[in-house]
Amino acid sequence: MSDLGKGDQSRGCKSAKDQLVQINGAAAPSYWKSPEELHNGARRTAEFPGGLPSSPTGEETTRRDFLAAMGFTVAAAGLAGCRAPVQNAIPLLVGSDEIIPGVANWYATTCRGCASSCSLLVKQRDGRPIKIEGNAESALFGGGTCATGQATVLSLYDDARLRAPLWQGQPTTWQEIDKRVLASLREAQETKSEIVLLSGSVVSPSVQSIIAEWRNSHPHFRHVEYDPVSFTALRAANELSFGRPVVPHYAFDKARVIVGLEADFLGTWLSPVEFARQYAANRNPEKAPALHIQFESGMSVTGSNADLRVAVPPSQLGLVAVALLRRIAHKAGIAPVAGTQDPLDARKLDAVADELWKYRGESLVVSGVNDRSIQVVLNALNAALGNFGKTIDINKPSLQRSGNDNAMAELVAKMQRGDVHTLLMHGVNPAYDYSEPDKFLDGLGKTALAVSFSDRRDETSSRAHAICPDHHFLEAWGDAEPVDSHFSLLQPLIAPLFETRAMQESLLRWIGHPEADYYKYLREFWRTNIFQRQKEIHDFETFWERSLQSGVVTVPPPAAASIPKFQGDWKAAVDRIQKEAGETRADADKSFELHCYETVPMRDGRHANNPWLQELPDPITKVTWSNYASIAPQTAKKLGVNQGDVIRLTAGTRKLELPAFIQPGQESHTISVALGYGRQQVGRAGNNVGWNAYAFTSMEQGDRRYFTKNIVIEKTGRTEKLGSTQTHFSMEGRPIVLETSMAELRRNAEPGNEPATQPSLWAERLHGEHAWGMAIDMNACTGCSACVVACQAENNVPVVGKDQIERIRIMHWIRIDRYYSGEEEDPVSVHQPMMCQHCQNAPCETVCPVLATTTSSEGLNQQVYNRCIGTRYCANNCPYKVRRFNWYNYTENPKFDFNMESPLGRMVLNPDVAVRSRGVMEKCSLCVQRVQLAKNVALQGKRELADGDIQTACQQACPSQAIVFGDLKDPNSRVSKMQHNQRRYQVLDELGTRPNISYLKKVRNPMETA
Amino acid sequence: MRLHWVFAGIVGMGFAVGTGAWQLSRIGIHQGYTPKQPIAFPHKVHAGDNKIPCLYCHYAARTSRHAGIPPASVCMNCHTILEKQTVEIEKLKEAVDQQRPIRWVKVHNLPDFVYFNHSQHVLSGVACQRCHGAVETMNTVSQVAPLTMGWCLQCHREHAKLPVGDFQRAALGLKEKQKPVAGLDCASCHY
Repeated sequence: MSDLGKGDQSRGCKSAKDQLVQINGAAAPSYWKSPEELHNGARRTAEFPGGLPSSPTGEETTRRDFLAAMGFTVAAAGLAGCRAPVQNAIPLLVGSDEIIPGVANWYATTCRGCASSCSLLVKQRDGRPIKIEGNAESALFGGGTCATGQATVLSLYDDARLRAPLWQGQPTTWQEIDKRVLASLREAQETKSEIVLLSGSVVSPSVQSIIAEWRNSHPHFRHVEYDPVSFTALRAANELSFGRPVVPHYAFDKARVIVGLEADFLGTWLSPVEFARQYAANRNPEKAPALHIQFESGMSVTGSNADLRVAVPPSQLGLVAVALLRRIAHKAGIAPVAGTQDPLDARKLDAVADELWKYRGESLVVSGVNDRSIQVVLNALNAALGNFGKTIDINKPSLQRSGNDNAMAELVAKMQRGDVHTLLMHGVNPAYDYSEPDKFLDGLGKTALAVSFSDRRDETSSRAHAICPDHHFLEAWGDAEPVDSHFSLLQPLIAPLFETRAMQESLLRWIGHPEADYYKYLREFWRTNIFQRQKEIHDFETFWERSLQSGVVTVPPPAAASIPKFQGDWKAAVDRIQKEAGETRADADKSFELHCYETVPMRDGRHANNPWLQELPDPITKVTWSNYASIAPQTAKKLGVNQGDVIRLTAGTRKLELPAFIQPGQESHTISVALGYGRQQVGRAGNNVGWNAYAFTSMEQGDRRYFTKNIVIEKTGRTEKLGSTQTHFSMEGRPIVLETSMAELRRNAEPGNEPATQPSLWAERLHGEHAWGMAIDMNACTGCSACVVACQAENNVPVVGKDQIERIRIMHWIRIDRYYSGEEEDPVSVHQPMMCQHCQNAPCETVCPVLATTTSSEGLNQQVYNRCIGTRYCANNCPYKVRRFNWYNYTENPKFDFNMESPLGRMVLNPDVAVRSRGVMEKCSLCVQRVQLAKNVALQGKRELADGDIQTACQQACPSQAIVFGDLKDPNSRVSKMQHNQRRYQVLDELGTRPNISYLKKVRNPMETA
Repeated sequence: MRLHWVFAGIVGMGFAVGTGAWQLSRIGIHQGYTPKQPIAFPHKVHAGDNKIPCLYCHYAARTSRHAGIPPASVCMNCHTILEKQTVEIEKLKEAVDQQRPIRWVKVHNLPDFVYFNHSQHVLSGVACQRCHGAVETMNTVSQVAPLTMGWCLQCHREHAKLPVGDFQRAALGLKEKQKPVAGLDCASCHY
C-alpha cells in the first residue's frame, strides 16, 4: 500500500485516460466521470465557472445601479445604527410537559412517500416536523431511508397544497361536499349504478377494512388498485405458478448469488431501503460477499453495483430468463426447455447458471419486467433452484404493491361506456401517468360524480367535480402492513395545516358509519385485529401506547404454511417469450427500443413539486431538473448525436422530443427515458420540468409494458442544456477512488493501514477531548443518494435551480461522485460520497484572509459565516472541491422561487443551523449541531459521550450503513477500528492535508466468464 | 493665532472621528436596554423578596437552549391561591381567561448567527446572574451585559483550561475523562 500516494501529480491536468495509478505494481483502472472527460480530459474551469455577470438576469451594471447601490449601502449602515427592532417572545398560555421550546421530540410514524411504507422516526421541533429518519426498531427497514422518504417532509410545506375542499374548482365547505357526495351515492344506489374507488396500492389494513364496509353497504361498489409502475405481472405469475396472487418477500441477505433482470432493487424497485440494507450486509468483503449479476438495458443504480452487468435490450430479457432456465433445467434433470438460441454470449450465461446451480437454495433471481411470461419462467427457475422458502418467502408475502393493470383497463373502458356513476380517486393521477390518458379523461367526463382526494389541483383532480384534499401523512393517523405480519402505525406530527380531512374519515362519513372519527376507528380496528394476534401484552391500552411509541409491531404469522409447489405452465411462457423475441430480433439493427424506467429522485412523478428531489442529481447520470433520452456512446456516434441534442423519438403516432444524454453502458439498441417528469399541473417547482414518457407504455397481454419497440430516432437540430453535475468539480485525474479485488484482499489480509505519517511543516495540532472523524465504505455505498437529501434537510441547504446548476453553483454539502472505468460500452462504476474532508492541515484555512475557516480543537474544519467576506480563496484552494459559495440570497428571494422563498416552505428549516446569506462560503460541518447536542444530552444525563451517540445526518439516512462517524481518539470506537481496515485510504493523502475522513476501497469481485 | 485654530480643528476632527468610530463599534450592542413589558412583572418581588428560584419559572433552562418565558399557567400555579390583587395581576388573569398568550418583549437578543444554549451553561454551574445581572433586584429587567463575543470569550477563556495529559489530569484529581469546559472553538457557537 506504500506506493499509493505516488500518483504523478505533475501531470495534474492531463486527461483521465492518460492517468494510471499504480497499486501494488498492478495497473489500476483509469477513471472518468463522463464520455466527454474520457475523450477530451477533465472539464477545465475558469475562475468564474458559471461566468460573470453575477446577475441572474444577465443585465449589465450601469453607473446608475452603482450609485443606487452606494446610496442603499450608506442608508443601510445608518439604519443599522438605530435601535434593533423590538423582538417579542410569546410563551404558551398553558404549559405542556411534552413541548419545551427548543427541545426536539421524536415520534414514530410510517412513510407514505411510496407504497413501500418504511417505518420512520420524525423530528418535531416546536410543533413542526422538520426531519425524517428511519426507525431503527423496524426489523424490515432499519434506521435508513431513501431520498424520497427524506424529502417527504418538504411536501408537507408545499405551497401548491389545497387550503380547503373544492367543488367545481371553487372553494367550499366540507358540509357542502358531503351533501353532494351523499346525494350522488344515493342516486347511484337507486339506479343500481356502479360506484368505484380507484386508489394506489392499499397497504393499510384499516383502510382495507373501510373498503370492505363499503362493499357491504353498496352492492355496486368496486375497488380498483392502480400503480403507475406496476407489479401486476409478478402477482399474476405467482397466481399462475402457485395459485397465490402475491408479491413475495425477498431476502437479499440470504442469497449467495443474486441475479437481477431489469430490477432496480437498490434504487426504485419494490422496497429499496430494505433491499439496500440486506444487500450491503451481504456484500461485506470481510466476509464472503454475495455475487451479483445484473441483466438490464439502461444503467441503473443496481446495475452500477453489480459484479457482472450485461446490457440486454428489453425485448430480449425474456430470452435471458429462458436461457438460464434451460441450463438449470438441464442440470436439475427437469424436462428440457425448447430452443437453443441465446440472446448473448453463451459463456456468460453458462457461468451465471453455474454459479446459480452451485448455490442453489442460496440464490435469488428477480425481475422488474412487468411481463407474466418472464415472471413465470423466473418462478420455474427459482423453484428449480429451490429458492422458495429460503430467499423468496411466498407465505409471508410483501403487501407493498397490489395494483392491477387489467382492472384499470377494464375500469377505463367501463367509464368510457358511461357505466361508472361515482368515481372516487385516492393517490392516483391517471390523467398524467396512464398510458392512454385521453381515454381516461373521456371516461372521467362521463361519470356523474368524480371525487379526488388529491392534495392539489393536478392533471386528474382538476378535471374531477370535487377535490377533497387528504392530509399529508405527517398530519394523519393511519397504519400499514408492508410485509405480512409486520405492522406499523402513522401518527400526526402536527395539526393539519389547512382545512383538509383524512380520506378515511370522508369514506366513513359517506357510508354513514357510526364512527366517523378515523382515529377511533383505527384504534377499534387494532383492538379487534392486531391486538388479538399478539400474546405479549394483555391490556389494549398498553399495547396501543407501546405500538405508537415504537411505531412497529410484529405479530406471529398466522400459521407456518408449507412451501407451495410450482405448478405453472412454464412451457407456454417459454414459447411466448421466444416467439415475441424472435419477431423483434428480425429487424433489430434498424429500429430501437424505448425503455421507460423510474429514477431515484423522481420515481413515478408524484413528488414532482418537491424541489429537493428535482435538484437531486440522478445517481447515475448526475442530471438534475430534467429527464432525457439515454443513448449508448457507440449509437450516438453512429447517429451523429451529441450530448444535449434534442432528438425525436417516434413510435407510430406517439412522439417525444427530448435531449439526448450519452450514457456509458447503455444497451446500444435501447433508448432509456425516465418516467415521472413532464408534469403539467403539480406546482410552481415541478410544472413543465422534463417530458412525460408514460405515453410510451402500453398494455400487452394483460400487463402494462414499459418498453416500446420499433422506435425511430430523428435529430431535430435543436439542443437543450442539461443541468448535469457530473462534470462539476473535477479532481483533474488525481487518484481519488481506489479499488482492490477480492483476490488481492485475501492475499494481503494483514492490516497495514496505519494513519499516514508523512512529514509535515505544520506543528502537530493538540486535540481536545475528541477528534471527530468519519469512515466511508465505498463498497457498501450503492449511490442511492438518501444522504444528499438528508444533509439538505438537516443543514438548511438551499435549492438553486437548473440555471445555477449549469453554472456549477449547486449547494449540496455532500455529493456522490460516480466514476467509470473500463470500456465506454461496458464500464464499471464506483460511487464515492464526497464532502468536506475536515483536513487537519487544511489548504482552505491558510488562504482565508479573515480567519473565517479554522480547525477546531476537536478536528472539525469550521466555517464561520458571519466572519466570511466571500473572497472564495478557500474554495479555489480546496483540492476536494467541496466548498459552496452563496452567490445569491437564496432565502426570501423571488428569483429562487423554491421552498425557501415562501413562508410555508421555510417552516422546514432546522432552527439549530444558521441560514446563510449572500456572499458567504459554506460546506459540510460534520453536523456540528448534532455533536454539540449530543454533548449537551450527555451532560444532562451526567454521563460521558458514548460511541454512536452522534450520528451525522448522512450516516443516519444511509440504508446500507456505508458511513460511520465517531471519535478517533477513542480506540474502541467503530470509526477508529475502521482506520485499521486493510482497505482504508485517504483521498489525496499525498498532498499532506491529513483528512479526518477516511475511505474504504471498493472491492471488485469480477466473475470469471471466459 | 490662526495656527491655533487649525490645531484645534484637527483635534476637534480627531475627536469627532474617534467618537464616531467608537459609536459605530457599539452598533448592535444594547447594554442597558430596558423595554416596557405588557405586564409590569417585578422580578424583585418574586426572585428577590419571595426567593423563588429562577429555575422554578424558567424551568426550560435546564433542558433547552431557550430558558423560556414561563407559560401563564405557571404564574397561575401561585396566583390562583394568592389573594393579593393588583392591576398587573388583573392583566395576567384576564389573559388567562381570554385564552390570549402574552406578548412579552425580549430583552436579551443574540444575533441569528450565534447558537447559545442555556442548559449547557446552567448544568455547568454558571449562575444566571453572571450574564443577566442581579435580576432579583430589578423591577424592570434590563440588559446588564454587553452580550458581545469578546464578553462571552472573556468567561470562556477563564474556564477553558484543558488538562490534556494523563499526568496533568491525575495531578488535578480529575477522572479519566474531562468534565465540560468552555469551548473556544468557533463552532462552539457558530454553525
